[in-house]
Amino acid sequence: MDAVLKSLIAIVGKHRAIVARDALLAWECDGFTVHKQLPLAVVAPETTEEVAALVRILHAGKVPFVPRGAGTCLSGGPTPMAPSVVIELARMNRVLQVAADDLYAVVQPGVVNLDLTTAVAHLGLHYAPDPSSQSVCTIGGNLAENSGGPHCFKYGMTNDHVLSAVVVLPDGSIAKLGSEAGPRAPHGFDLPAIFCGSEGTFGIATEITVRLCRDAEAVHTLLASFGDMPSACRAVSQIVGAGMVPAAIEILDQATIRAVEASIYRAGYPEDAAAVLLVELDGPVAVLEEETAEVRNFFAQNGALRIEAATSPTERKKLWRGRKGAFGAMGRLNTDLYVLDGVVPRTKLVEALNGIYAIGKKYAVVLTNVFHAGDGNLHPNISYDGRNVEEVARVLAAGREILQLCIDLGGSISGEHGIGTEKLEHMPMMYTEADLEVMARVRSVFNKDNLCNPDKVLPSRHGCAEVAKWPAMIARVLDGEGQS
Amino acid sequence: MNNFTINSTAELIDALRSRGDHRVRLCGGGSRHHAQTARPFDSVVIALAGMNRIQRLEPDDLTCSVEPGVPCAVLHEELAAKGLELGIDADGTIGGFLAADPVTAATTGAASARSALLGAEAVLGEGKAFKAGSRVVKSVAGFDVHKLLIGSRGLLFAATLLHLKLRPRPPAAIDFCTDVMEQEAASRRFIALRSLAPAPVRLSLLFDPSGCRITGRFAGRANWVATALRSNGVREAKLAAATPFDEHSGNERLAGLVPPTQVRHLLRALPVGAFARIHGNGRCEIDLPAKATDALLRAMPELFVVAAIIGGTAVRRGQGTPLDAGAVRLDQGLKQALDPQGVFV
Ligand SMILES: Cc1cc2nc3c(=O)[nH]c(=O)nc-3n(C[C@H](O)[C@H](O)[C@H](O)COP(=O)(O)OP(=O)(O)OC[C@H]3O[C@@H](n4cnc5c(N)ncnc54)[C@H](O)[C@@H]3O)c2cc1C
Ligand SMILES: Cc1cc2nc3c(=O)[nH]c(=O)nc-3n(C[C@H](O)[C@H](O)[C@H](O)COP(=O)(O)OP(=O)(O)OC[C@H]3O[C@@H](n4cnc5c(N)ncnc54)[C@H](O)[C@@H]3O)c2cc1C
Repeated sequence: MDAVLKSLIAIVGKHRAIVARDALLAWECDGFTVHKQLPLAVVAPETTEEVAALVRILHAGKVPFVPRGAGTCLSGGPTPMAPSVVIELARMNRVLQVAADDLYAVVQPGVVNLDLTTAVAHLGLHYAPDPSSQSVCTIGGNLAENSGGPHCFKYGMTNDHVLSAVVVLPDGSIAKLGSEAGPRAPHGFDLPAIFCGSEGTFGIATEITVRLCRDAEAVHTLLASFGDMPSACRAVSQIVGAGMVPAAIEILDQATIRAVEASIYRAGYPEDAAAVLLVELDGPVAVLEEETAEVRNFFAQNGALRIEAATSPTERKKLWRGRKGAFGAMGRLNTDLYVLDGVVPRTKLVEALNGIYAIGKKYAVVLTNVFHAGDGNLHPNISYDGRNVEEVARVLAAGREILQLCIDLGGSISGEHGIGTEKLEHMPMMYTEADLEVMARVRSVFNKDNLCNPDKVLPSRHGCAEVAKWPAMIARVLDGEGQS
Repeated sequence: MNNFTINSTAELIDALRSRGDHRVRLCGGGSRHHAQTARPFDSVVIALAGMNRIQRLEPDDLTCSVEPGVPCAVLHEELAAKGLELGIDADGTIGGFLAADPVTAATTGAASARSALLGAEAVLGEGKAFKAGSRVVKSVAGFDVHKLLIGSRGLLFAATLLHLKLRPRPPAAIDFCTDVMEQEAASRRFIALRSLAPAPVRLSLLFDPSGCRITGRFAGRANWVATALRSNGVREAKLAAATPFDEHSGNERLAGLVPPTQVRHLLRALPVGAFARIHGNGRCEIDLPAKATDALLRAMPELFVVAAIIGGTAVRRGQGTPLDAGAVRLDQGLKQALDPQGVFV
């Protein structure tokens, strides 16, 4: 291993390599803090050639490695579960080209999502996928996770915005997937589509070409509070049923509203409301006037307690403040936060939420809900103390049952946060052995030796000990049928 | 050996297991087999047009699940009756359409085969059934193996059920066209119309020996559609139907990808007698005399154009501009991994 490390350091230099144990602590996990493991080392390349050289050395030495962007993943994706070297891509943060007339940009993977939009704002353009972590997370991480965000209801997920990617494959060779003009050549397969969402297990993207969108003429944001959750969900159904495609439709439940209002993200949401519904419309002014009136109507029909509207950027920012700060606000509730990410058909939202609250009660966990209502993508958040092993086991058991509920309602265990290590055990709830075997075949095409981000996405019999210890503990909780 | 007509997944698995040494050509509607490479003489055709049920249509969830043999025209009609649409000009059967991923007149940001396909059930050549993706509008659980169906030309697996994302049908839509223009002006106009927010949902630059025209469609609220037409100086006109490819004309048809700012260079590079349709999503089709194709294909990489022959003699189909060597290895690896016995041809 020492020889491998020496060779790695020779590529990037000492100032871009970290081997000291204390310093490595920052890379031991992502936003899913249940699974933790120190990496062997962290190296920070700046070019595709450096990434390829590092990967060739690691591949030759049979040392596992993990690509990492900003580490905001919520499913353990960039956590180095096997003893691994982390390839930190944050220094690859240059916007390489903006082709305004062609509506695309070429970026290095470490470019922060919001920085891309800021870089093209003067051209009246933006990058549409907007995870709530967009001020920190990177385009490379977004590509690997196929990230969504509030505005993906109208504009689609990352996959809909990626045209091509230069990728260092896990053997150190380089491939260009797709082209600036489109993701699939007429005589090839859609490689960007399969790479997108591969969670760092298919190789390392080092140059990514993404579509840029023209800014809408106007944006209207409406916020309504409701006395009960079903009314808020009904309003959503009516809006979508009327043929409107708002840019975003988000709901916060009462527990979230209270957490937000007690935090520095305070947005003036009414604390007595059972739900706050945010609807953002964008488009030509004339259209927005009509649509805004219709949305207000649907709010009123469903007994909205209060309706607020904003058209200027400052006012809109104020209405969004609580939603954007919701995860941060949970930090007040306890030391750790488990953000779930299940999806249900939108028409099953009320049923799902009732089930989720019941599960929270059953396991005596502190549960708040904030979600992308238009997509049926729920984020039940469980606040807990990660130092209390018994509590962690209860939290994970509740999470497992919530995801089973989503599947039972015809949905999915992840809408945008990925599987990582967090949901490895849940994959067989959604997929058969045959489904998983076919996925493994596809992974082996890119990552034959499974050195690139091993022990992620697909459960394996030889998974790492840190992940493997939890199912037994969860089983004990489930045997005891939760608490209370 | 007889060809197979399939009505269910179980029948498909049986057919694949009882095919002996024969390789298999999958067939949806079989509407345009001219676009495929020649079928090996020892292969059998498995026709999936009998798997034609719409299994689930949930207007409120904006999703549906359909068997691959459902004719797109039937699906369009069912959806229209419920105020919905796929948002794509799909033809043939839905399975054939997704697997062919033909060039359509969509513009950037509009629905595409790729964005519409949420999940699928499928069968490998060896007869193993699997699924990927999900039937909800959003899921990132596991690898998106189903997305490999798009443009796979029946070479990787046979789709048996498709989960699709739907859109509300816009209340109004108007097709438009411009006057005939010279190439430079048309290219500029094309880029300007493509950059509108919202952009036309269809947009094509049509080039023929008489000059260039731009056609498209604005869709949305009635008042906006009318305004968009006026303020962009275009007039209402029916969209021209795609010209069918005439196999016996001595011409070849290329399908490709071209960045909009390269369109003017591409038009200049076209040989005498060529016709081209270039769409807002960067995809294009060019019909040209066969003897001029190779020279054009050689010139294309300089213009950042990627293209392949989809119409002409069987031996020539599938030839195109060189692809990245790494990408070719991955394409071959995917074929090898998903169809190791090379069943699908
Ligand atoms: C407060 C908060 C809000 C969030 N909101 C959303 C949201 O609205 N929608 C959403 O989808 N997600 C959300 N997330 C999750 C997270 O931000 C996204 O998954 C994001 O895309 C991760 O980006 P990152 O740069 O932090 O990647 P990391 O966390 O560093 O890595 C994520 C995965 O990508 C891989 N990876 C990173 N870079 C590359 C690369 N260049 N090539 C190949 N693989 C790579 C890693 O190995 C890892 O598996 C949120 C997270 C937080 C903390
Ligand atoms: C490679 C190719 C490219 C084409 N490009 C264009 C174009 O650019 N412009 C144009 O106008 N037309 C094009 N066509 C014509 C295209 O066939 C039609 O546009 C139509 O959508 C196909 O529908 P179909 O039901 O007739 O399919 P078919 O013509 O029967 O099949 C189309 C392709 O899909 C495969 N296939 C069918 N069903 C399945 C399934 N269930 N699972 C997996 N694979 C399946 C077939 O093997 C075949 O490769 C193309 C066709 C092919 C084969």
